[in-house]
Amino acid sequence: MTTTAPAHEAAQRRDAPRAQEEPRLFVVFKVGGVSYALPADEVLQMESYSGATVVPGARDYVVGVIQLRGRVVPVIDLRKRFGLPPGELTLESRVVVAEKNGRCVALLADCAREVLRVAPSQHAPPPRLVGEAGFVRSVVQLEDRTILVLDLDAVIGDETQPSPRRREEAIDD
Amino acid sequence: MNVDLREFRAAFVAEAEEHLAAVQSLLLKVERAEREGKRAPGELRELMRLVHTVKGLSAMVGVEPIVALAHRMEAVLRQAERAGGLLNEQAIEVLLAAARAIESRIRSVAEERSPAAAPPGLLAALDNVELPAPEALAELPLDPLLASKLGPSERHQLEEGTLGGKRAVRVDFAPSAEKAAEGFTINTVRERLASLAEIVKVIPVTSPASGKVPTGLFFALLLLTDATDEAIADAVGVDPADVELVLLPRAPACASLPVDVEDDACLAEGRGGLLRVEVGRVDDAIAMLGGLVVTRARIVHAIDRVEAAGGDTRELRSLMLDTARQLRDLRAALLRVRMVPMAAVLERLPLLVRGLARASGKQVRLELDVGSVELDKTVAERLFPALLHLVRNAVDHGIEASDERVRAGKNEVGTVRIVSVTRDRNIELRISDDGRGVDREAVARHAGAPPPVTDAELLALLCRPGLTTRGEVDTTSGRGMGMDIVHKVVVRGLGGELALETRAGVGTTFVLRVPLTVAIVDVLTVRCGGERYAVPVSVVQEIVELAQEQVVDGVSAGRGFALRYRMFARRGRSVPVFDLGDALGTPTSAPAPHALLVRRGDGELVAYAVERVLGQQEVVVRPLLDPLVASPAVSGTTDLGDGRATVVLDLLALTSSLEATRGRRRAA
Repeated sequence: MTTTAPAHEAAQRRDAPRAQEEPRLFVVFKVGGVSYALPADEVLQMESYSGATVVPGARDYVVGVIQLRGRVVPVIDLRKRFGLPPGELTLESRVVVAEKNGRCVALLADCAREVLRVAPSQHAPPPRLVGEAGFVRSVVQLEDRTILVLDLDAVIGDETQPSPRRREEAIDD
Repeated sequence: MNVDLREFRAAFVAEAEEHLAAVQSLLLKVERAEREGKRAPGELRELMRLVHTVKGLSAMVGVEPIVALAHRMEAVLRQAERAGGLLNEQAIEVLLAAARAIESRIRSVAEERSPAAAPPGLLAALDNVELPAPEALAELPLDPLLASKLGPSERHQLEEGTLGGKRAVRVDFAPSAEKAAEGFTINTVRERLASLAEIVKVIPVTSPASGKVPTGLFFALLLLTDATDEAIADAVGVDPADVELVLLPRAPACASLPVDVEDDACLAEGRGGLLRVEVGRVDDAIAMLGGLVVTRARIVHAIDRVEAAGGDTRELRSLMLDTARQLRDLRAALLRVRMVPMAAVLERLPLLVRGLARASGKQVRLELDVGSVELDKTVAERLFPALLHLVRNAVDHGIEASDERVRAGKNEVGTVRIVSVTRDRNIELRISDDGRGVDREAVARHAGAPPPVTDAELLALLCRPGLTTRGEVDTTSGRGMGMDIVHKVVVRGLGGELALETRAGVGTTFVLRVPLTVAIVDVLTVRCGGERYAVPVSVVQEIVELAQEQVVDGVSAGRGFALRYRMFARRGRSVPVFDLGDALGTPTSAPAPHALLVRRGDGELVAYAVERVLGQQEVVVRPLLDPLVASPAVSGTTDLGDGRATVVLDLLALTSSLEATRGRRRAA
């Protein structure tokens, strides 16, 4: 404790409620070279991915549905969702199957193989002027890299958001 | 804790609903008996038992409004029992109202809302029910000890039984260890007697222990029977001389066996084998079976690889064939669990018709002839609202008032009849009335269309959305309220058919044809635009080969409209052909050579061209509910056996949405 910074951190830690101090588990996956994460309690499983069944009339960022143990789950292509150029499917391609409030979706990522323990104090609010700002809940800055924690609801998309069909109507008008 | 409570609530709702349904049908039975001037003591006692059970259940979960209502219903019933088993019309009316009030509160509990307080007016009405005073009864030649134990309704039961040609007898059964060793206990005696006699009362009597009554307790059984003393004695394990005659038959033995006794026996038998299961549990099992099918497909692929590597796989192959058959059987068995009897679906209709008839001041008899037809629970639930509409329309608009019927030379009581039969894999339901028939002119006037010539055209007019019978059509005997809903349920919701037969002054019949189950659908699998789709066979009229010379390119529908559109000639008519891939937004390079011919609701044909028709099979369709993938043209997905989801298309909805798009473009 020769510098003031750690002392400052220690003071912060004392002030924060104890429960918030508990580190939480996060599932980390990569899309377009960037690391994203979801809280582990929102993730059901990770599966290898070899294509989905196209559903006509689905949202444009939904590549289709996959069947997982009898359950039919929509697959959101995170590259499309984040406005990135399409990537190639590889052996590394994974779907991260997430569930929140009984709704189940699969997120298509370039790869996913890591689970990290992150303390709440390591989260920072997302910087503005980042493309995915709307989808990012917080930023975790580690020594050697940055991880963006996703807001699952925002990624799934709001029910009130116009569907492709309705958007077409709007153009027609 | 929370979960426990929820489970408990579900159990309460299930049990209370079952009892209440029985209460309602018994009240109707008592009402029928009352109209015929008969007493129904057996029904009354059963009613008391059921209402008491509902009260107890409700007290356990703390639903006070139901407790209050049930308590007063019980009081009225007890009063009636004391009055000799007679209920009057006013009392039955109030009891039915109370039953309905309880029903709506059970619903509230089911939906996790807190039930409304019991209506004070209804409670007061229950408190103020007036029943005839107990009649003075003829003295029965009974041991005064026994006579004092008999209630008025039991005396009436004895009296009516003897009027019906039976003897009333008394036989005493004294239980003992020796008797029990021979297989005679009070329970086995009751069981054996049940087939021989109507047990009016079993009275336990204590007496000093003796050789005849070793335990100091015997049961005096009071029976109505036409069996011999020997048969009775044999059933009780005593000497025929111990069977004591109480009352002789007082009328010629013309009456048949009391039907109610038979009914009760059947019910008791049926109940023993029944199990109430939440549908969700069965569906879970079906979903798990889906997982098993996927695993099987994986094993088959693994066996392929073993074989490719030179392994001997013959035994494995034959085992996998067995597994396939077992999975099929298991699926069929699980789907059978989901089937419910049509009779149970229609259980509530008599009450509905009674209420409608009362409200409209008409006399209506409801006849149900549904035999042992069974249908899938989901189909039943979707179908019921349509049935309700049709029955309501029949009573409100079809059946005439009594005086009008008499003037027309008809029976003053109108008849609504529901007949149901199973044909192939469909159920056919006919809902007929012997009323005045649909007034074509009135319907046409109201719809602003020329009068329809055929019944089919009339039905099409009736099913137009928004056509209601309020005002003119209602008073001039048109019909149509909710017909668009009926059409939607039967045709769109269940993939069925709806037909109408009507004759002025004679009556109207609606014919509904719906699949026995929507869980299983017979589909055609097709390929187009690199994707595989399933299409229910029921919507496809025919698969046609599109020969080049028969097909012409259609006129483009306007600015930048990418949808290719061709026409082909069929029996002198032009049928529009859409490329299925184009229509679904996955365009193909070459025009597809096969077409699925689809007949739309209005009878016009439209065709969808596909690259290949792959085959036909029965599948289980799972609905796609997530808004991310919900689309009108898609009715769900299915697993064709490869562990992947395959989209099941709704071609009728697709046609409608194409038309909507085209309409908008033309307008633009």
